[in-house]
Amino acid sequence: MLLGLLALLPDVQAEELAAGISRDKIEINSRFTGTDVAIFGSVEPAIGEVVLGDRSRDIIVVVRSDRLSRAVVRRKAPVGPVWVNTDMLAFDNVPEFYFVASSRPLAEIAEPAVLQQFQLGVQQVDTGPGFGGGHKAGEFREAFLASRLAQQLYSQHEGAVTFMSPTLFRTTLALPPNVPAGNLKVSVYAFKDGRITSSNAMTLFIDKTGIERALSDFSVREPLLYGLSAILVAVVSGLVAAALFRDRT
Amino acid sequence: MEIYLPIAEMPVNVLLIVGLGAAVGFLSGMFGVGGGFILTPFLMFWGIPPAVAVATQSPQIVASSVSGVVTHWRKGNVDFKMGGVLLTGGLGGSVIGIHLFNALKAAGQEDLFISLAYVIFLGSVGGLMMWESLQAVRQSGGDAPVSRRAAGAHHWVHGLPLKVRFHRSKLYISAIPPLLLGLLIGVLSVVMGVGGGFILVPAMIYLLRMPTSVVVGTSLFQVVFIGAFSTLLHAVTNQSVDAILAGLLIAGGVVGAQFGVRFGERLRSDWMRLCLAALLLMICVRLGVNLVWPPGNPYSVSVEALQ
Repeated sequence: MLLGLLALLPDVQAEELAAGISRDKIEINSRFTGTDVAIFGSVEPAIGEVVLGDRSRDIIVVVRSDRLSRAVVRRKAPVGPVWVNTDMLAFDNVPEFYFVASSRPLAEIAEPAVLQQFQLGVQQVDTGPGFGGGHKAGEFREAFLASRLAQQLYSQHEGAVTFMSPTLFRTTLALPPNVPAGNLKVSVYAFKDGRITSSNAMTLFIDKTGIERALSDFSVREPLLYGLSAILVAVVSGLVAAALFRDRT
Repeated sequence: MEIYLPIAEMPVNVLLIVGLGAAVGFLSGMFGVGGGFILTPFLMFWGIPPAVAVATQSPQIVASSVSGVVTHWRKGNVDFKMGGVLLTGGLGGSVIGIHLFNALKAAGQEDLFISLAYVIFLGSVGGLMMWESLQAVRQSGGDAPVSRRAAGAHHWVHGLPLKVRFHRSKLYISAIPPLLLGLLIGVLSVVMGVGGGFILVPAMIYLLRMPTSVVVGTSLFQVVFIGAFSTLLHAVTNQSVDAILAGLLIAGGVVGAQFGVRFGERLRSDWMRLCLAALLLMICVRLGVNLVWPPGNPYSVSVEALQ
């Protein structure tokens, strides 16, 4: 009993995990087309521990958005001659962005139960059971994950965390152009023998600036005025064009 | 050259969007249609979220329609009286449309209904128009309005009360048919999410028997209001109108509409009807194929932000 409990505790002699990001704030302006952020760190082995091989630990880096969304997955089936949406399943509270990078294939680093507990891997992203659907929730979940992967909003990079020395590691977080604004939580986990030995969390702020920021704030705070302004701009543009082209007739 | 869209939250190619706006504006100025039924699928194809694509086409429709309607008005090709009657009917129709749409949504079949409505309307209107205009082209009727009935041949429409003189359209008819037509367009524009120009134009030509030159300008006049109403609706309920995307589309659209009006003028009216018929049938076939063809991926995913 006691032995069992001990086995669950982390290494008694705590190691040192330090991690950082090259930028902690990304500003989205009108020229934003995606950007790279370096995530790096060092992991010192426990006191007296001898490092064998080229690395002291396995590292898994997970980046996920605070912003959650609701995904509705629909499936078409033939009804008579036409294909119509017959089944649907909705997943609430799925992250808008998810990135995972690891020093080795995830399956070699830890058992599925551990990966699942910490949502390490695109397959482990917690979508909940979904609601409103029939019996084949698994297929709907697969379809959801496939669409996120295709849009580059979810990505998995096994082996992309590289060690420059047995203790120094780094990886590159490639933010796609359609990354959602808001906070991204960056978590770094050090693994040894399939167990987490230490972890570290950081926040990356992604914020719209300048005109992008002003417009999106305006649209939410004063929707009626925003709509009226859009109509005004449209009408004036139409009048200006009609006036400019008048002489050409 | 790329620019980031604040509401769609993604970058787009500036020239591509301006060019798309210009192309749709051209069709709008030429045929009197809003062009939303072409614009929306293109925007979605380039990865613009559907809600943003549907909402943002509205200000573009307003802009290119204003651009076109002013030019048509200078040439005396807008029947404001007729436009006003159609709009009055449209207002009532949109209220009915909202109720109908909610009922369909509750039944979970709004997608199917919208697609079928498109295919049926585009197919029947486009088909009839194609048949008629081909004959007109063959007989080389020129600019004469659609085959007027033989003098004295009485149509039931002429027996209706509330007769109004529409000077521009050279008509003296009851206000009831245009009111009902406006009502139908109002219902359809809410349910199908379109301006309704592509139904209104043929209906004015064939049902109300207005001269083709006046039809385009009058339809654009009506489309301006429908577009403006739809912009407000989307801005307030979904906050999904993207100002930058709209600006790019407008820049192209207002210029494109000018060329469309001029090109449309030079085109003989039977050829204009033939071209519009071809356009409607093309879209009908595309939608019809989508409905019947087995999809590559039966699953579709839509993501909505929470709060």
